Amino acid sequence: MQRVSIALLLAYFLLTPVARAQIGSAPEVKVGDLAPDFTLVDQNGKPRSLHDYKGKKNVALAFYVWAFSSD
Amino acid sequence: MRSFQQNVGKLEAADTQVLGVSMDNPFANKVFADENGVTFPLLSDIGGNVIREYGIYKEYDQFHTKIPAARRATYLIDTNGKVVAMQVDTDAVDPTKTVRACERRKLKG
Repeated sequence: MQRVSIALLLAYFLLTPVARAQIGSAPEVKVGDLAPDFTLVDQNGKPRSLHDYKGKKNVALAFYVWAFSSD
Repeated sequence: MRSFQQNVGKLEAADTQVLGVSMDNPFANKVFADENGVTFPLLSDIGGNVIREYGIYKEYDQFHTKIPAARRATYLIDTNGKVVAMQVDTDAVDPTKTVRACERRKLKG
């Protein structure tokens, strides 16, 4: 019985972080990481991809909350 | 985004393309860009997939409802596609740090 409890307890501690990671969003992109590629449409309906700029320009990727926010 | 527009000349001079990303639709971005003289692309991540992939998805409490959006964040990505600098939340509002990081890279290169 005691052995089962210990096994359950161990399983709980081992598996909880895995479960949490799956529920939450993907890991945050950090300095040194490869930036995930994407293709999104701009305000004129033109698709833009991150890889369009590879080997040509740096990209300042600025995420904002919503268009008419004050800053 | 207005503060980025004010610095877009300096960023472009340092070989840097500015891309804005939010969960707004292209029509809202178009009106915003026209009214504020924004000349760089404002990208629509309507479903929030890219925002989630970068790990900056957030639900904001507004008018007793939860509104999904991005956190304020700026990633400086080099020509190899690698993240070389980033600022999140209030740090990301003022683009000065991004401008300086770009100018340093320009000097090095």
